[in-house]
Amino acid sequence: MTGFLYPFLDAEERDQESLLTDLAASARAKATESAALRAATLAASAELVATAAAEMARRFTAGGRLFAFGNGGSSTDSATLAGLFAHPPLHGPLPAWSLTADQAILTALGNDVGFELVFARQLIARGGPQDIAVAMSTSGSSKDLTAAFREARKQGMYTVGFAGYDGGEFATSADVDVCFVVRSQSVHRIQEAQALLGYELWAAVHCAMDAEMEDQCAATT
Amino acid sequence: MTAVESAPGVAMSAELAADLAAASLTLARRFAAGATMWCLAPQWEPHAQHVAVEFVHPVIVGKKALPAVALGGPDLVSTVRMSVRPGDVVLAVAAAAEPAVASVMRRAPAWGATTLWIGNGERPQAGCADHVLWLDDPDPRLPATGGFVLLYHLLWELTHVCFEHPGLLTEPECTDDVCVTCSDEGRLGEVVTPGDPARVRTAQGIEDVSTALVDAVAPGDLLLVHAGMAITKLEEGA
Repeated sequence: MTGFLYPFLDAEERDQESLLTDLAASARAKATESAALRAATLAASAELVATAAAEMARRFTAGGRLFAFGNGGSSTDSATLAGLFAHPPLHGPLPAWSLTADQAILTALGNDVGFELVFARQLIARGGPQDIAVAMSTSGSSKDLTAAFREARKQGMYTVGFAGYDGGEFATSADVDVCFVVRSQSVHRIQEAQALLGYELWAAVHCAMDAEMEDQCAATT
Repeated sequence: MTAVESAPGVAMSAELAADLAAASLTLARRFAAGATMWCLAPQWEPHAQHVAVEFVHPVIVGKKALPAVALGGPDLVSTVRMSVRPGDVVLAVAAAAEPAVASVMRRAPAWGATTLWIGNGERPQAGCADHVLWLDDPDPRLPATGGFVLLYHLLWELTHVCFEHPGLLTEPECTDDVCVTCSDEGRLGEVVTPGDPARVRTAQGIEDVSTALVDAVAPGDLLLVHAGMAITKLEEGA
């Protein structure tokens, strides 16, 4: 603790510089890893994106609506995706909501019927056969999300799951029509790739809905 | 968009990586000193919530939970003004032109807050925030592609690396006579109650400040305060 009484300022400054150098190198390495994972995920999911977008476009055209949900950071990413559909900076708005937006509903359901049903019960109240359920998760196995997909399936909704690792329960569940799997062990890298996948899905839905955009869409995908 | 996001080769510029490193060390030091981080994203509110949950409930078991709070709703500037204590951090995810965030960033020095600004497209004016973490691609869809998520994930990851270096978590003390932090050379103040003297909020707390040298002041006006005197009134956008 003599450093406290007699700080060697130069030495301390060098330490700080070396930490900052290490941090910057780490940031670049992780960004590169993230970019590689996003590119690999898009390449592996291209066909699935097209399949899902075609069905989602058909449902939106028929009056369907989108409900997005997830837990924690994934709830915010699903809210961003719902926001992209509902308030897009380009193209027209499509009806989409995040099921985590209303804390009265979330806490009422969590308190009265249990957290596992916070999304399923909202789909019982609001969902219909033309609608679309989108859940974002890193594990792909959260009970509240699998319960919501079970309910969505019962109602004839189209179900789209985003998962990480090996896809978890989403990957094998009969309740999930399309499961996007980001094959990584890092929650952060998974979420970054899922966000880009969600964006691509939104863009592909607009391509599928707007015949005039077809040329442009074909050129960019 | 896709081409930009997944471009082969350079995933992050050396400049942005250095900005992230410096921001992370600042953030770790502020947290170590007891700061709360207030998170704003008026146009894309889920980003503010994502940042907050990242710090409060870390994905890696055993990492320290840190106080971070997402703020939103109407009159965001008032909400932040009420929330912030000296030494706190304000992090915004917003475009440079976002008016509430720009106003918060201008006022933050008077509240004693350190500021971080994440965004894309046209950059905020130099010096507007203590740390600017910026993606230059102006595409308005970028906020929904995961680009910002990557930035604040890295901010969290690097901040926790800093916590492994406790010796560097103490802010270097000012030893220089002209150190701006310690001296009284034109500190920013925000008018609470007009008058002469006016009650003014500065990083040091509430002070009575003479307004004899400036035009009439109104609540929320920003003043440069020197030796108990308001020497300049800052105009909007200045």
